[in-house]
Amino acid sequence: MNKRIYSLAGVAVLAASLALTGCGARTDAGTGGGTATKVAKIGVIAPLSGDLSAMGLGIKNSVDLAIKQANASNAIPGWKLELAAEDDQATPDVGKNAATKLASDDQVIGVVGTLNSGVAQSTIPVLDAAHIAQVSPANTNPALTKGADYTTAPARPNANYFRTCTTDDVQGPFAAQYLLGAGIKKVATVHDKTPYGQGLVTEFTKAFTAGGGTVVDAETINPDDDNFSAVISKVKAAGPDAVYYGGVYAEAGPLAKQMKGAGLSVPLMGGDGIYDGNFMKLGGNDGDLATSVGAPVETLSSAKAFLDGYKAAAYADGYSAYGAYAYDAANAIIAALKTSLASASDAKSAREGTITALASVSFDGATGKVGFDKYGDSVARVLTVYKVVDGKWVAEKTGELK
Amino acid sequence: MRTVIPDQLKVQLRYPARAVGLAGAAAMVASVFLPWSYGHEALDDVGFTGLPSPLQFVFLILPIAILALLGIPLVGKAKLGRWAKIVAWNTTAKTASLGALATVVVALAAIAIELGGLVNIETGGWLALVGAILAAAATVFLPDSPEPTLSRVKSPRWLQITAIVVVMAIVLFGSAYALGMDDAGAFLTLAALLVGIILTLRQFGVFGWLGIASANNNRVLVMSAFVVAFAFPFTQNGSNANMSIAAQVLIFAATALGLNIVVGLVGLLDLGYIAFLGAGAFTAAVLSDSAFATINFHPPFIVTVLIAGTVSSLLGLMIGAPTLRVSGDYLAIVTLAFGEIFRISMLNLDGSDGPNITHGSAGIPGIPDLNLFGFDFGQAHIIAGIEIGRFANYFWLMLLVMALIILVFTNINHSRIGRGWVAIREDEMAAEAMGVNTFALKLLAFAGGAFLAGIAGAIKAHHDVSVTPEQYVFLESAFLLAAVVLGGMGTVSGVLIGAVILKVLPEKLRFFSDYRLLLFGLLMILMMRFRPEGIIADERRQLEFHDDDEELADEIEEELITHHAHLNPERKGFEL
Amino acid sequence: MELFFQQLINGLSLGALYALVAVGYTVVYGIVQLINFAHGEIFMIGAFGAYATWVLMGSPSDWTATTSLLVLLPMMIIGGMVASVATALATERFAYRPLRGAPRLAPLISAIGVSVFLQELVRLFFGKIPGMPDAKSSVPFPDIAGISGATITLGGVIIQMPAIFTLAALAVSTVFLWYFVNRTKTGRAMVATSQDPDTARLMGINVDRVIMAAFAVGAALAAIAGVAHGLMNGNIGFRMGFLAGLKAFTAAVLGGIGNINGAVVGGLVLGLAEAMASNYLGTTAWKDVWAFVLLILVLVFRPQGLLGAKVVDRA
Repeated sequence: MNKRIYSLAGVAVLAASLALTGCGARTDAGTGGGTATKVAKIGVIAPLSGDLSAMGLGIKNSVDLAIKQANASNAIPGWKLELAAEDDQATPDVGKNAATKLASDDQVIGVVGTLNSGVAQSTIPVLDAAHIAQVSPANTNPALTKGADYTTAPARPNANYFRTCTTDDVQGPFAAQYLLGAGIKKVATVHDKTPYGQGLVTEFTKAFTAGGGTVVDAETINPDDDNFSAVISKVKAAGPDAVYYGGVYAEAGPLAKQMKGAGLSVPLMGGDGIYDGNFMKLGGNDGDLATSVGAPVETLSSAKAFLDGYKAAAYADGYSAYGAYAYDAANAIIAALKTSLASASDAKSAREGTITALASVSFDGATGKVGFDKYGDSVARVLTVYKVVDGKWVAEKTGELK
Repeated sequence: MRTVIPDQLKVQLRYPARAVGLAGAAAMVASVFLPWSYGHEALDDVGFTGLPSPLQFVFLILPIAILALLGIPLVGKAKLGRWAKIVAWNTTAKTASLGALATVVVALAAIAIELGGLVNIETGGWLALVGAILAAAATVFLPDSPEPTLSRVKSPRWLQITAIVVVMAIVLFGSAYALGMDDAGAFLTLAALLVGIILTLRQFGVFGWLGIASANNNRVLVMSAFVVAFAFPFTQNGSNANMSIAAQVLIFAATALGLNIVVGLVGLLDLGYIAFLGAGAFTAAVLSDSAFATINFHPPFIVTVLIAGTVSSLLGLMIGAPTLRVSGDYLAIVTLAFGEIFRISMLNLDGSDGPNITHGSAGIPGIPDLNLFGFDFGQAHIIAGIEIGRFANYFWLMLLVMALIILVFTNINHSRIGRGWVAIREDEMAAEAMGVNTFALKLLAFAGGAFLAGIAGAIKAHHDVSVTPEQYVFLESAFLLAAVVLGGMGTVSGVLIGAVILKVLPEKLRFFSDYRLLLFGLLMILMMRFRPEGIIADERRQLEFHDDDEELADEIEEELITHHAHLNPERKGFEL
Repeated sequence: MELFFQQLINGLSLGALYALVAVGYTVVYGIVQLINFAHGEIFMIGAFGAYATWVLMGSPSDWTATTSLLVLLPMMIIGGMVASVATALATERFAYRPLRGAPRLAPLISAIGVSVFLQELVRLFFGKIPGMPDAKSSVPFPDIAGISGATITLGGVIIQMPAIFTLAALAVSTVFLWYFVNRTKTGRAMVATSQDPDTARLMGINVDRVIMAAFAVGAALAAIAGVAHGLMNGNIGFRMGFLAGLKAFTAAVLGGIGNINGAVVGGLVLGLAEAMASNYLGTTAWKDVWAFVLLILVLVFRPQGLLGAKVVDRA
């Protein structure tokens, strides 16, 4: 009698093992077709879901646009470029998994991302170990390119890391110069305790005090909190002529509105994080200021290609704050690939060459001049100050940071 | 499962139903040799004729099982003998059929979505669907069989051990196979299939039998589980993609096990547990050789781990001592507040709002890889011709830590302290009246759990390379709690399963990630409503949640008795 | 000194907001001994309900102060109440009632689930309702003529109208609550149930209805707080309930949980403590830390709260 259960168990085990051994043979047969052109993938690591997904999707779509344009113009003969987008949910852990996944895909040759500096800290080492270039459209933490002692002894920690956005030590000082030039000598600073906001305020403060201004009060807010009355009262008591805010529009708008409500009618100035139409919807007032990288988009012919292409591609989401930088980042990688892939047999062997080639890339992109210095930072020094006039951002002054 | 079909009708229809069921199963078997989809991109390429995909091969198990379950009883009751009662033939066939139907539906839906429309489903797919519907409909009309008694069948020890080893081997290769899937549709189909197979096996009585087998061979079970986990990196062929996830799962699971002592054993709800992990991580980070470390003291890692654990447990004492005297509800909120205090403090210790210890929101990046006794965790090593990468090194280290935690957990659980904890959980006042020092025991659990989290955090800091405050937010505490609740409070295996589900599913179902938290919230509500004891229930715990359910109480009691019957040879059991 | 009075006003208005939310924690806890972790989300949904009402009325932006105050604002508050009360009753019915009698961990964990679920529901689906804006990031709250942006200056101290609205709302609500608890049948049934649910049941009180009434009262006040939040801060968002809920719970414990007057006093004290701490104890970045340290200190030295709790430990 017991023979039967053995044979039954035997059948089950056999079936299972059959299924498992079956894996190998078949998959080879399936992919053995072979393709005429070789494939190289450009990865994207950005928050594609969650609170920050609007910006993440803008980055993804802009990279997609750059890849499509490159394929259409056959920018790299013999090669077809593909997009490999991974969600990082704006968390370092998930970002690291995404980077590991991309690194173990032999066709991935470069990555555009991340949005958050905190996530970049986790992805850069993983991609560096695999010799994959990472070009960020949005990380502003100076330490990413210049190391822990970026003010006193800058040293580049990872050779694979570049960025197309400007760091805080360009935007902050530019804002300081503008305010000093407008005759404003007393400023209060507020930031949201994110690497972006804190970095901006730190660099702004340095340049502003060096230029002869005084920071009369320095405050911080908690982005989870919507009520800034305690902070505003303190700022108001210090009597500044302007408030410099380090952070993004989501808090800057309400802050501007509450400032006005509390009777503090001085302009609020911020970085590219508040240069967004939503700033006015959430309470930004006429006279508020923002700095952004590059000359105004309308005046740049290279930017028009991006804007028109993006409109024509009809993506569901807007390109958002960092789309243009992401477009430039992808095009920088593509420009490097023209050199590195020219004689390469497969994508993996060209990874190292891509990093070398990226260092000497130079062209006019959607945000202005694209190129990298010896730390991997953007060489762009042209910035524009925008002012809110009748509820719209209007270019106030374009200049180069000296 | 109850049906509304009258028993009389079932008896009348039993022969035609059986025939239809067999035909349906045969159709499903035939279908895998026909193409299911028009294109080759769907699932793991199910568009071939005569050559089933791996997924279709695994799928074959169900129809073959249905054929066997419906076919074998045809030899007649006399020939079946005792086996007529040992196996629940009809009911198992019904479970298998429903599982097959669910799998086919998921697979066809995935094909339709991935390739864009139902037109992409080919003959094989439709045949499988028709077969599955026939089999499911037919088996519903079969008379229900009595509960299987396979678990009471006595079996020799070598068979039990072999069975455990086979199960573990299937787990090893199965998880490697499942993790290797890139296609979300294929992954979901496999998930549906596995649930179907597992339910079928359960209905067959295999788990009851395995439960007794593993209780008899507990050491073999634990050892083989560890061997399997240890062997996992060798199945990855040097690829890091899955090892990175696996190492994270272990860190998460180790932390959840620490939380399980606090929540599962003692019944103290800690909503800020992630802060202890963070305290360990930050301690290890500032003491590491990172260029961003702010304390100029870099002890060897062994010392750092102990310091990290101690710092965490001191924080645990600081927060536990005042709050553990008052009711448990307060503790939940105070720990939640503590989690916020921790996060905000880490943000503020940045040099402008306080002394510079953590660099504020930028955190401490560039933490070097571990190097223990000359073994560099950052380097890949070649073992037996297979490359073992960085993440696999950390995976093994976490495995060791996990073994330690499980050892502590199970030993304490069965000690005087553990019994004291459970007594506190069930009725604190009664426990106190019986002379249990409730305050000291609660404090011990709280500080001990924090210590374990601190150790896990220290390793996490090196594994992650950078430590930032935004990694340690309330939602992470909620996820840890969910792992404990989902898997089963107070059990080790349950928490492991909970951790795997919560970490692996989001990675594999990334297209779903925007709805991840919504589902997470819903899952917590539904779990509390319908299965508060978790997937793997602690028996005592199960009774606690269903104290009005006498049937369940009897069932558990009966299980315990049969269990003992096996352990005591004098009691009469079935002979094989 | 001017700054001191300014912060006093800031603290009182913030505290009034906390107090309105804290009442919801305290009435529910007093009756079912449940920390309704999702109450912060009820507050958030109240604000979104008021916003939706404003959109349904045609997004009026040019109404005069009188019509705004007499028609628009009351309509918005009622709309917010409908949304929050309906949500609160639904969560009570589907997430908490089935768990009555289960070990105390169960409803608390369920409440965490409800909290996450409601946040995500608003984030993902508010924008899908026709006419409503996307709620994935903050939504600007409408300006109400006569309140938004209007101020009164008292000896150099600027008092904003939204702050006055919040304090007035708290005062009216407290009177209403006093009347409801002491003078109405349902209110007295609530008191009886909180003191001894079994005896209350024997006396013919429908305990289920009393519990629903407790949830409804708390939700209605939370909706008022939601409107006040929108007016004071100018924007609302799906995450606004988390921190506010945590603070309001702290306020409830501070005053003595289960004690309605305690919640009001606790809220005001907490708001004042926060405003003063941001001025006089280190930088503003630490103010939330001080609020929670206050919670721990109260638990150590006076677990029954400032005014004494109805229930300290019945577990």
